[in-house]
This record gives sequence, C-alpha cells and structure tokens, in this order.
Amino acid sequence: MISIKFFGLIILLLVPYWLIPKQKIRNVVLGIVSLFYIYTLDANALWVVVALSSFSYLMGILIGKNPNQKIPHIAGVLGVLGALIVFKYLGFLEATLSSLSGLIGAFPRFNIKDIILPLGISYIVFKHISYLTDIKWGLVKPGRFGDFLLYSSLFTIFVAGPIERFERFKPQAEQHRIPFCWTNIDYGFMRIVFGMFKKLVIADWIGYFTAPIWQNPHQYGVWMGLIALLGYSLQIYFDFAGYSDIAIGTSRLFGFKIMENFANPYLAPSISQFWRRWHISLSDWIRDYLFFPLSGFSTKKMWVMFFVPVIAMALCGLWHGAAWHFILWGVWHGIGLSAYQIWNSIKRKNKQLAKATKANWYYYLAVLTNFSFVTLGWWWFR
Amino acid sequence: MEEKLIEFIKDEFLDDPDIVIDIDTKLISGGMIDSFSLVSLQTFIEAEFGKKIPAPRITAQSFDTVRQMVQVINQF
Repeated sequence: MISIKFFGLIILLLVPYWLIPKQKIRNVVLGIVSLFYIYTLDANALWVVVALSSFSYLMGILIGKNPNQKIPHIAGVLGVLGALIVFKYLGFLEATLSSLSGLIGAFPRFNIKDIILPLGISYIVFKHISYLTDIKWGLVKPGRFGDFLLYSSLFTIFVAGPIERFERFKPQAEQHRIPFCWTNIDYGFMRIVFGMFKKLVIADWIGYFTAPIWQNPHQYGVWMGLIALLGYSLQIYFDFAGYSDIAIGTSRLFGFKIMENFANPYLAPSISQFWRRWHISLSDWIRDYLFFPLSGFSTKKMWVMFFVPVIAMALCGLWHGAAWHFILWGVWHGIGLSAYQIWNSIKRKNKQLAKATKANWYYYLAVLTNFSFVTLGWWWFR
Repeated sequence: MEEKLIEFIKDEFLDDPDIVIDIDTKLISGGMIDSFSLVSLQTFIEAEFGKKIPAPRITAQSFDTVRQMVQVINQF
C-alpha cells in the first residue's frame, strides 16, 4: 500500500477525477483505476473481485426482490463464503485433517499448493456478506453495478480495509456530484501524513529494535521477552492504525468518507470497550453478523455468556489467518469478553463493588489490566 | 412501549430495585447496562412488539436511552 505505485496513481488521478462533472462517471473511472491497481498487485485477485462482485450483485437483486425468502440470502452468503473457504482455508482444513491420522482416509485429498490466496479476499467476502445481509434486513437496496464494483474494489481500502458498509458508501457514490472542497484535500493529506508517521516511524522502528529478541528469544530472558511483546503490542497498533489512516485519508482525497477503524483502543477500560475501539469495522461486523445471530440460537446463560463470545472471537481469529494460533488468539479474547460479562453481573449485584468501580483509581487500574490482557494475547497472534 | 421497555430493563439488567430510570436515563454510557445486554433487548423487542430490529441498528449509541430505543423501533 505504501508504494510509489499507490501514491503515483493517486497523484495522476486526482486532478482528472475532480475535473469530471458527474459522480457517476467519476465512479467508473475510479473503479477502472482500482481494478487496474489490483491487477498490477495480483492478477488473480482481479478475476476474483469481478466474479464475486457480479455474483453478489445478482444475488443482492434476488434478495431485494424477495426479502422474506431465506434461500437467496443463504445461497448468496454461502457462495461468497465458499470462495473464501476454497482460497483461504482449504489448505488449513486439509492440514488439520491430515494431523488427525485416523480420519484422513475418510476425506478427499486436494492439491492445495496450487491454490493461491488472492489479495484482499478476506475483506471483500466480509463486505459482500454484510451487503447481502443488509439487503435482506431492508437496510439498503441494491444500487448500480458500477457503484457496487467500486465499493468492492476501491483501491484505497482494498488491501487493508476498513471493511466499509455499502449502506454508508452508496449514498456517497449516488450523489450527483461530490462537491470538491479543499477541506477534504487538507484532511486527506493530513491523515496520510499521520498514517505514514505511525507506520514508517513508530511501528517500523519498534519492529527494528525488537526484531533481534524475536529472532533469538532464548538468548534473552523473560523480561526482555515481555518487552518485545510490549513492543509488538505497540507496533501492531501503530502499523495497522497507520494503514487505516492512509486508507481513510486517500479515500477522502476523492471525496469519500470511510468509517474510522481505531479510537485509542489501548486506553479502553474493558475488553468490551477495547473491541469497540480496535479494528472497529471488523468488530462491528463480528457483532452484527456473528454475535447477534449466534446469540439468537439459545437464551441459555452459558450459551450467551460463554459460547457465543468464544465462537465469535475464534472465527474472528480465523479471519486473520488460516492457522491455529490465530484461533487461539480469538479464543483468548472470547474468554476475556465472557469474563467481563460475568464480572459485570457480579458488579450489578454488589452495591459496594459497583460504587468502588466508579473511582478514578479503578478506571486507571482497569485500563492497565485491559492493556496487559490484550498485550499478552498478542503472544498467540504473533 | 416505553413502560414495557423500562420494566424489562429493570427486571433483567438492574438488580437494585431502588434505581429509578426514565426514558432519558443513559443506560449504556451511564454504565447501568453493558452492550452485551443489547442482544436480550433485541429478543425482547421482537417477542413483545413483533419487530425484528437488525443488529446494525442496535448500537451502544442508538440504544443508549429508552427514548432512542423507541425511535429505532418505530422505524421498523
């Protein structure tokens, strides 16, 4: 994303883009440039984007015509999810099944090594699932195909998100003309500079200093290991928040307001609040399309308070990568969310405890505890 | 609708009977209920008022007070 190609494209495109009088035509131009950019990064990804967008757009129309019917929605979601499973998880699935030696004979073998993970597929699939489900829920109507293709491929947010919702994107794309204003350009460049600073100065330098510890952890003691983990915790935040700033900033240069993705997550006083501030577009997605539907399966306390957060967060971990350590990272957070719910129910029953938790010292302790919990969790992730 | 929601919230989430809440009491930002409780509220609203509110409309911001809840429910 931080490349001559990326920024060169923006500089070349910016003036002609704003000279075009109609937004509809601007969207087509931005869409073509986005597809070209994706093609230069990964030719396979281009075909996946076009195929998935065509499929989801058609399914969206079907769902929109019959919002009360479940089948078009299920078929649409399974279709895009199927693509994600084939491209991203089949190898992991086979490796897992292979390790269960007794079962392997029962499952077919695939030549998994031939399947290459197309760039951005995790993001596009989640965007399309939200698109199809929001149509089913009546929150958005299918618009023009060109706008949907632009939503799927917009090069400023294609590689690392945020996972924008079509409901927010559509009204912007459907304007007769997004008015040009210098404030947007100023704001866009400011966010890009902030993002570059976070990524290239803070995150990369932390990575530079902690790399020797990660390369030879046995040479260093436990304390140095913890410092490296603390470093990683800060590095991953500044790295990803920096990317998000650049994505939001570059989108704003073209007049598009993309949702925020981070809001000082390490200052959150609870794990629940952390997830409302960390990778917000993903955590909102998990909440809306996993957490709520899963919670609807049963009203049993054990299910709602333990299994739902753990399953939802394990799947959140799996989304980050097809490996067990990502799943364990998700489970870690799921257990944290579950413990937080239990803690809240204890607090509600105990007046004295509830009063104590309103003190300033409790707040700072909670922030520190939460930060420590999240930082320890990165050990699984890394 | 407001009374039923307040009654449900008091019974389900507030263990202290002395707590008084009205339609403008900040429930989530005021720390009286947590955002996990929103799932139960969605189920209750569907059962009681026959309206299934989609999850993206049930947020800590849009469901912070009973008045806000009623506004969202009336949109469906």
